Amino acid sequence: MAPQTQGDRGAGGSGGPAQVVLFQLAGKSFAVELGQVEQIIDYREPTKTPRCPPHVEGVIEHRGRYLAVLNLRKRFGVAEPGPPHQAVLLVTAAGPDPRVGLVVDQVLRVLSLPSDGILTPPPRVFGIRAEYIRGVANAGGRPLVWLDVSKLLAAGEAITLLA
Amino acid sequence: MEARTLVRRGVRSRGAAPAARGQVEQVLLFRVGESLYGIGIRGLWEVLSSEGITGLPTPRYQICTALAYRGRKLPLVRLGELFGVSADTLPPSTRVLLIQGRGRPLGLLVDAVLGVVDIDPQRIAPMPAMASMLSPSLFRGLIGKEGRVIILVSEDGLGGMAEVASFSEG
Repeated sequence: MAPQTQGDRGAGGSGGPAQVVLFQLAGKSFAVELGQVEQIIDYREPTKTPRCPPHVEGVIEHRGRYLAVLNLRKRFGVAEPGPPHQAVLLVTAAGPDPRVGLVVDQVLRVLSLPSDGILTPPPRVFGIRAEYIRGVANAGGRPLVWLDVSKLLAAGEAITLLA
Repeated sequence: MEARTLVRRGVRSRGAAPAARGQVEQVLLFRVGESLYGIGIRGLWEVLSSEGITGLPTPRYQICTALAYRGRKLPLVRLGELFGVSADTLPPSTRVLLIQGRGRPLGLLVDAVLGVVDIDPQRIAPMPAMASMLSPSLFRGLIGKEGRVIILVSEDGLGGMAEVASFSEG
Protein backbone atom coordinates (compact mmCIF):
# COMPACT_ATOMS: atom_id res chain seq x y z
CA MET A 1 0.00 0.00 0.00
CA ALA A 2 1.34 3.43 -0.91
CA PRO A 3 2.02 5.84 1.94
CA GLN A 4 -0.96 7.97 2.84
CA THR A 5 -0.46 11.67 2.18
CA GLN A 6 -1.95 14.68 3.91
CA GLY A 7 -3.60 15.44 0.57
CA ASP A 8 -5.33 12.05 0.65
CA ARG A 9 -6.55 12.59 4.19
CA GLY A 10 -7.25 16.28 3.95
CA ALA A 11 -5.51 16.82 7.28
CA GLY A 12 -3.12 19.34 5.86
CA GLY A 13 -5.82 21.94 5.42
CA SER A 14 -7.09 23.24 2.09
CA GLY A 15 -5.01 20.82 0.05
CA GLY A 16 -2.70 23.53 -1.28
CA PRO A 17 1.01 23.61 -0.58
CA ALA A 18 2.03 24.20 3.01
CA GLN A 19 4.46 27.00 3.76
CA VAL A 20 6.87 25.98 6.49
CA VAL A 21 10.08 27.26 8.07
CA LEU A 22 12.78 24.64 7.76
CA PHE A 23 15.37 24.37 10.50
CA GLN A 24 18.08 22.08 11.78
CA LEU A 25 18.25 20.57 15.23
CA ALA A 26 20.80 18.02 16.37
CA GLY A 27 21.57 17.08 12.78
CA LYS A 28 17.94 16.54 11.78
CA SER A 29 15.55 18.59 9.67
CA PHE A 30 12.38 19.95 11.22
CA ALA A 31 9.76 22.46 10.20
CA VAL A 32 7.06 24.62 11.73
CA GLU A 33 4.20 26.28 9.94
CA LEU A 34 5.24 29.62 8.48
CA GLY A 35 2.03 31.27 9.70
CA GLN A 36 3.05 30.53 13.28
CA VAL A 37 6.47 32.13 12.94
CA GLU A 38 6.28 35.83 13.65
CA GLN A 39 9.99 36.54 13.35
CA ILE A 40 13.41 34.92 13.48
CA ILE A 41 16.03 36.55 15.69
CA ASP A 42 19.56 35.78 16.81
CA TYR A 43 19.93 33.94 20.07
CA ARG A 44 20.80 36.02 23.09
CA GLU A 45 21.16 34.93 26.68
CA PRO A 46 17.75 35.00 28.38
CA THR A 47 17.18 36.17 31.94
CA LYS A 48 16.80 33.05 34.04
CA THR A 49 13.40 32.78 35.66
CA PRO A 50 12.69 31.11 39.01
CA ARG A 51 11.76 27.42 38.94
CA CYS A 52 11.44 27.31 35.18
CA PRO A 53 10.74 23.97 33.47
CA PRO A 54 13.93 22.16 32.36
CA HIS A 55 13.50 23.08 28.70
CA VAL A 56 12.83 26.77 29.44
CA GLU A 57 15.90 29.01 29.47
CA GLY A 58 14.21 32.13 30.80
CA VAL A 59 12.73 35.29 29.32
CA ILE A 60 13.84 37.93 26.85
CA GLU A 61 12.50 41.34 25.99
CA HIS A 62 11.77 41.86 22.34
CA ARG A 63 10.30 45.14 21.14
CA GLY A 64 8.81 45.89 24.54
CA ARG A 65 7.28 42.44 24.92
CA TYR A 66 8.49 39.67 27.18
CA LEU A 67 8.49 36.08 26.11
CA ALA A 68 9.60 32.76 27.49
CA VAL A 69 12.50 31.16 25.61
CA LEU A 70 12.29 27.40 25.14
CA ASN A 71 15.18 25.27 24.00
CA LEU A 72 14.04 22.59 21.58
CA ARG A 73 17.19 20.52 22.17
CA LYS A 74 16.29 20.31 25.86
CA ARG A 75 12.64 19.59 25.03
CA PHE A 76 13.89 16.62 23.01
CA GLY A 77 16.29 15.48 25.73
CA VAL A 78 19.43 16.23 23.71
CA ALA A 79 22.24 16.63 26.24
CA GLU A 80 24.81 18.17 23.91
CA PRO A 81 24.67 21.97 23.67
CA GLY A 82 23.78 23.57 20.37
CA PRO A 83 26.13 25.43 18.02
CA PRO A 84 27.50 28.84 19.04
CA HIS A 85 25.15 30.90 16.88
CA GLN A 86 21.68 29.54 17.40
CA ALA A 87 18.48 31.13 16.17
CA VAL A 88 15.22 31.87 17.95
CA LEU A 89 11.89 31.45 16.21
CA LEU A 90 9.21 33.70 17.68
CA VAL A 91 6.28 31.33 17.48
CA THR A 92 2.66 32.32 18.08
CA ALA A 93 -0.26 30.22 19.28
CA ALA A 94 2.00 27.67 20.89
CA GLY A 95 0.73 27.48 24.45
CA PRO A 96 -0.72 29.68 27.17
CA ASP A 97 1.35 32.70 26.14
CA PRO A 98 0.71 34.78 22.99
CA ARG A 99 4.17 33.93 21.71
CA VAL A 100 7.27 32.05 22.77
CA GLY A 101 10.86 31.95 21.60
CA LEU A 102 11.97 28.59 20.29
CA VAL A 103 15.73 28.01 20.23
CA VAL A 104 16.91 25.92 17.25
CA ASP A 105 20.36 25.18 15.85
CA GLN A 106 19.95 26.89 12.49
CA VAL A 107 17.14 28.19 10.34
CA LEU A 108 17.60 27.09 6.73
CA ARG A 109 14.80 28.56 4.62
CA VAL A 110 11.10 28.81 3.96
CA LEU A 111 9.85 25.81 2.08
CA SER A 112 6.69 25.12 0.15
CA LEU A 113 5.52 21.56 0.70
CA PRO A 114 3.01 20.28 -1.86
CA SER A 115 0.15 18.53 -0.09
CA ASP A 116 0.81 15.28 -1.94
CA GLY A 117 4.38 15.36 -0.66
CA ILE A 118 3.39 15.45 3.00
CA LEU A 119 3.07 11.97 4.43
CA THR A 120 1.14 10.90 7.46
CA PRO A 121 3.77 10.07 10.10
CA PRO A 122 4.31 6.58 11.44
CA PRO A 123 3.64 6.13 15.20
CA ARG A 124 7.06 7.54 16.03
CA VAL A 125 9.65 9.51 14.06
CA PHE A 126 13.09 9.89 15.68
CA GLY A 127 11.38 8.89 18.93
CA ILE A 128 8.78 11.66 18.65
CA ARG A 129 5.20 10.42 18.84
CA ALA A 130 3.01 11.11 15.82
CA GLU A 131 0.70 13.18 18.02
CA TYR A 132 3.30 15.97 17.92
CA ILE A 133 3.92 15.72 14.17
CA ARG A 134 1.80 17.26 11.43
CA GLY A 135 3.51 15.33 8.69
CA VAL A 136 6.76 14.08 7.25
CA ALA A 137 8.24 14.96 3.89
CA ASN A 138 11.32 14.45 1.80
CA ALA A 139 13.67 17.43 1.79
CA GLY A 140 16.54 16.83 -0.56
CA GLY A 141 16.64 13.14 0.12
CA ARG A 142 16.44 13.55 3.90
CA PRO A 143 13.39 13.17 6.12
CA LEU A 144 11.74 16.38 7.23
CA VAL A 145 9.53 16.35 10.32
CA TRP A 146 6.80 19.00 10.38
CA LEU A 147 6.18 19.60 14.08
CA ASP A 148 2.90 20.48 15.73
CA VAL A 149 4.55 23.02 18.01
CA SER A 150 1.37 23.85 19.90
CA LYS A 151 0.85 20.25 21.02
CA LEU A 152 4.56 19.70 21.58
CA LEU A 153 4.94 22.63 23.96
CA ALA A 154 1.65 22.11 25.76
CA ALA A 155 2.42 18.49 26.61
CA GLY A 156 4.42 17.54 29.66
CA GLU A 157 5.53 14.23 28.22
CA ALA A 158 9.29 13.65 28.18
CA ILE A 159 10.61 13.11 24.66
CA THR A 160 13.97 11.65 23.74
CA LEU A 161 15.19 12.33 20.25
CA LEU A 162 16.59 9.17 18.69
CA ALA A 163 19.10 8.84 15.88
CA MET B 1 18.78 34.45 63.62
CA GLU B 2 19.84 37.89 64.79
CA ALA B 3 20.39 40.48 62.13
CA ARG B 4 21.72 44.03 62.16
CA THR B 5 19.86 46.87 60.58
CA LEU B 6 21.53 48.51 57.61
CA VAL B 7 18.69 50.65 56.41
CA ARG B 8 15.42 51.48 58.06
CA ARG B 9 12.63 53.44 56.61
CA GLY B 10 9.07 54.22 57.56
CA VAL B 11 6.38 52.46 55.62
CA ARG B 12 4.16 55.16 54.29
CA SER B 13 1.24 52.91 53.77
CA ARG B 14 1.37 49.24 54.58
CA GLY B 15 0.14 47.17 51.70
CA ALA B 16 -0.23 50.34 49.69
CA ALA B 17 -1.41 50.14 46.11
CA PRO B 18 1.22 50.62 43.41
CA ALA B 19 1.84 54.12 42.13
CA ALA B 20 -1.00 55.71 40.22
CA ARG B 21 -0.98 55.99 36.44
CA GLY B 22 1.72 58.24 35.09
CA GLN B 23 3.68 58.19 38.33
CA VAL B 24 7.16 56.88 38.85
CA GLU B 25 7.56 54.06 41.32
CA GLN B 26 10.75 53.29 43.20
CA VAL B 27 11.89 49.70 43.26
CA LEU B 28 14.65 48.10 45.32
CA LEU B 29 16.81 45.90 43.11
CA PHE B 30 18.28 42.71 44.48
CA ARG B 31 19.93 39.59 43.17
CA VAL B 32 19.01 35.96 43.76
CA GLY B 33 21.21 33.52 41.86
CA GLU B 34 22.08 35.08 38.52
CA SER B 35 18.88 37.03 38.04
CA LEU B 36 17.79 40.52 38.91
CA TYR B 37 14.68 41.04 41.01
CA GLY B 38 12.81 44.05 42.28
CA ILE B 39 10.33 44.93 44.99
CA GLY B 40 8.43 48.19 45.49
CA ILE B 41 9.97 50.17 48.34
CA ARG B 42 6.52 51.10 49.63
CA GLY B 43 6.26 47.71 51.26
CA LEU B 44 9.88 47.69 52.47
CA TRP B 45 10.63 48.30 56.15
CA GLU B 46 14.30 47.60 56.57
CA VAL B 47 17.34 46.06 54.95
CA LEU B 48 19.25 43.91 57.42
CA SER B 49 22.88 42.87 57.17
CA SER B 50 24.04 39.31 56.97
CA GLU B 51 25.61 39.25 60.43
CA GLY B 52 24.46 36.20 62.27
CA ILE B 53 23.02 34.55 59.18
CA THR B 54 26.00 32.21 58.81
CA GLY B 55 25.31 30.69 62.23
CA LEU B 56 21.69 30.08 61.40
CA PRO B 57 20.71 26.44 61.90
CA THR B 58 18.72 26.37 58.70
CA PRO B 59 17.96 23.03 57.19
CA ARG B 60 18.60 23.27 53.48
CA TYR B 61 15.61 22.83 51.22
CA GLN B 62 13.46 24.66 53.77
CA ILE B 63 11.86 27.67 52.13
CA CYS B 64 10.59 29.38 55.27
CA THR B 65 12.54 29.64 58.50
CA ALA B 66 12.63 31.96 61.51
CA LEU B 67 14.10 35.44 61.80
CA ALA B 68 14.74 36.94 65.24
CA TYR B 69 13.87 40.59 65.03
CA ARG B 70 13.53 42.93 68.00
CA GLY B 71 12.38 40.21 70.32
CA ARG B 72 9.97 38.76 67.79
CA LYS B 73 10.22 35.74 65.57
CA LEU B 74 9.22 36.47 62.00
CA PRO B 75 8.97 34.22 58.96
CA LEU B 76 12.03 34.41 56.73
CA VAL B 77 11.56 33.30 53.13
CA ARG B 78 14.77 31.98 51.59
CA LEU B 79 14.25 33.19 48.04
CA GLY B 80 17.17 31.14 46.71
CA GLU B 81 15.45 28.00 47.94
CA LEU B 82 12.07 29.11 46.66
CA PHE B 83 13.50 29.98 43.26
CA GLY B 84 15.60 26.81 43.00
CA VAL B 85 19.01 28.52 42.96
CA SER B 86 20.20 28.15 46.54
CA ALA B 87 23.92 27.96 47.21
CA ASP B 88 25.71 25.88 49.84
CA THR B 89 26.95 28.96 51.65
CA LEU B 90 25.58 32.45 52.07
CA PRO B 91 27.75 35.09 50.38
CA PRO B 92 28.90 38.11 52.44
CA SER B 93 26.59 40.26 50.33
CA THR B 94 23.54 38.40 51.69
CA ARG B 95 20.81 40.67 53.01
CA VAL B 96 17.40 40.34 54.58
CA LEU B 97 14.63 42.56 53.26
CA LEU B 98 12.01 43.14 55.90
CA ILE B 99 8.72 43.72 54.16
CA GLN B 100 5.00 43.78 54.75
CA GLY B 101 3.01 41.20 52.83
CA ARG B 102 -0.64 40.41 53.28
CA GLY B 103 -0.64 42.50 56.43
CA ARG B 104 2.16 40.62 58.13
CA PRO B 105 5.87 41.37 58.45
CA LEU B 106 8.25 38.88 56.92
CA GLY B 107 11.85 38.69 55.84
CA LEU B 108 13.25 37.85 52.41
CA LEU B 109 16.73 36.35 52.24
CA VAL B 110 18.46 37.63 49.08
CA ASP B 111 22.00 37.25 47.71
CA ALA B 112 22.71 40.99 47.35
CA VAL B 113 21.01 44.37 47.31
CA LEU B 114 21.96 46.44 44.29
CA GLY B 115 20.18 49.78 44.72
CA VAL B 116 16.97 51.63 43.97
CA VAL B 117 15.67 52.50 40.51
CA ASP B 118 12.67 54.37 39.19
CA ILE B 119 10.23 52.48 37.02
CA ASP B 120 7.06 53.33 35.16
CA PRO B 121 4.46 50.93 36.59
CA GLN B 122 2.46 51.15 33.37
CA ARG B 123 5.27 49.33 31.60
CA ILE B 124 5.14 46.27 33.86
CA ALA B 125 4.34 43.22 31.73
CA PRO B 126 2.98 39.94 33.06
CA MET B 127 5.37 37.05 33.60
CA PRO B 128 4.89 34.58 30.70
CA ALA B 129 3.00 31.53 31.94
CA MET B 130 5.63 29.15 30.56
CA ALA B 131 8.51 30.96 32.25
CA SER B 132 8.05 29.59 35.77
CA MET B 133 6.39 26.71 37.54
CA LEU B 134 5.78 28.88 40.61
CA SER B 135 2.43 30.51 41.33
CA PRO B 136 1.92 33.66 39.22
CA SER B 137 0.72 35.36 42.41
CA LEU B 138 4.35 35.58 43.57
CA PHE B 139 5.21 38.01 40.78
CA ARG B 140 4.01 41.47 39.81
CA GLY B 141 5.57 41.00 36.41
CA LEU B 142 8.59 41.97 34.35
CA ILE B 143 10.07 45.30 33.40
CA GLY B 144 13.10 46.26 31.35
CA LYS B 145 15.70 48.69 32.67
CA GLU B 146 18.87 49.61 30.81
CA GLY B 147 18.79 46.45 28.74
CA ARG B 148 18.18 44.16 31.67
CA VAL B 149 15.01 42.34 32.62
CA ILE B 150 13.87 42.84 36.22
CA ILE B 151 11.56 40.26 37.77
CA LEU B 152 9.24 42.09 40.15
CA VAL B 153 8.11 40.05 43.12
CA SER B 154 4.79 40.61 44.86
CA GLU B 155 5.01 41.26 48.59
CA ASP B 156 1.40 40.20 49.02
CA GLY B 157 2.00 37.03 47.00
CA LEU B 158 4.98 36.14 49.17
CA GLY B 159 3.10 37.01 52.35
CA GLY B 160 0.25 34.77 51.21
CA MET B 161 2.40 31.69 50.71
CA ALA B 162 1.21 28.69 52.71
CA GLU B 163 4.63 28.40 54.38
CA VAL B 164 4.37 31.98 55.61
CA ALA B 165 0.70 31.79 56.55
CA SER B 166 1.33 28.70 58.66
CA PHE B 167 4.37 30.20 60.39
CA SER B 168 3.97 30.34 64.13
CA GLU B 169 5.64 33.06 66.17
CA GLY B 170 5.54 30.81 69.21
